[in-house]
Amino acid sequence: MTRGHRAVHRVLWPLLAAIVAFGLTMALTLRPPPEDPGAPAPATEAQPK
Amino acid sequence: MSAGFQAVQWNARKLVYDGVLLAAVALFIGSYILIEARITPPDNALAWIDLRINACGVCAFIMLTIILSIGPLARLDPRFLPLLYNRRHFGVTMFFVACLHAAFMIEWFLARGALPELWTELTTMADYAKFIGFPFKTLGLAALAILFLLAATSHDFWLAFLTPRVWKGLHMLLYVAYGLVVMHVALGVMQDDCRVLVPLLLGGSFGIVTLLHVLAAWRERAGDRGTSHEGWIAVGPPASIPDKCAHIIAAPNGERIAVFRDGDQIGALTNLCAHQNGPLGEGRVIDGCVTCPWHGYQYRLEDGCAPPPFTERLVTYAVRLRDGIVEVDPNPLPPGTKAAIRVAAA
Repeated sequence: MTRGHRAVHRVLWPLLAAIVAFGLTMALTLRPPPEDPGAPAPATEAQPK
Repeated sequence: MSAGFQAVQWNARKLVYDGVLLAAVALFIGSYILIEARITPPDNALAWIDLRINACGVCAFIMLTIILSIGPLARLDPRFLPLLYNRRHFGVTMFFVACLHAAFMIEWFLARGALPELWTELTTMADYAKFIGFPFKTLGLAALAILFLLAATSHDFWLAFLTPRVWKGLHMLLYVAYGLVVMHVALGVMQDDCRVLVPLLLGGSFGIVTLLHVLAAWRERAGDRGTSHEGWIAVGPPASIPDKCAHIIAAPNGERIAVFRDGDQIGALTNLCAHQNGPLGEGRVIDGCVTCPWHGYQYRLEDGCAPPPFTERLVTYAVRLRDGIVEVDPNPLPPGTKAAIRVAAA
């Protein structure tokens, strides 16, 4: 890689890693609690993931 | 290399690489479906489609994680270089697996006769203001669009047409695609699947890829610090350059120069391979030619020209021996200029 590519690489990676790590942590923190196993099953099909 | 055009230049190594790759993908998807179906037997056609969606999604994510790890792994340990050799085929295969994941998702909606629901999900603007509840499929589609662009331009035609510098810059979009995929999973399946396995695999994969990139970048930082003075750069005694290998130095502008020794011949070439800007100085002299460790492109040490019938030419640098020390003039010579010297048996 050229020096320019390496410079972009070194800026892009930590920035992207920080954004994604923050998003991942938030998504994990705000995740809804597990459903009560005794609760009735939902009437409709769950969405595909 | 550049003599004659073939859509794909196949050789035994590429065929073995692709064969192993396709077999591993088929084995993974097949095993995933079998194991999951045994643990939680699907009770209807939709559940079977769901299983296929998950199998292809997990496979594509693992493949993307491996692809992003190959670069830093090869920099940290040359034993991983064979994985880098045909990484583009790995990337294109991963794109097709991701397409299968998206196709099965559309099949799921079609099977329910509910395709408009998918459209509604993607176009409900109010949901884009939410974090939990964000239309995560849009993130996956955005990643797929980037992967399509990268797969479509993966051929050497585009590499030559765009120039290695632009092509490499464009293909750095893969990092953005990876970020989108991680958030696609985090806001999608991770919100519904309460097993600890999902965040563990997702966070673990992301953490490994990040750690490898940080380690590789840290190790390379010293190599980017150019010398402060403008004159000839001292490399060391001829014997300090391992035979058939290179000593990499940095010019005052920070670009790297590979100083190779082949027996009693010492020459300096740019560290950038003409093919994909691969790190030439990490290669070796094979059959009398400097050989790029990435894809085997070869150049003569004496003048930086690829052997006939190939036509690539590299920038060379003047070399001299002064008081028993090899020195390199950091001012580049026109590509293909003879600049190597002969020294007494090193």
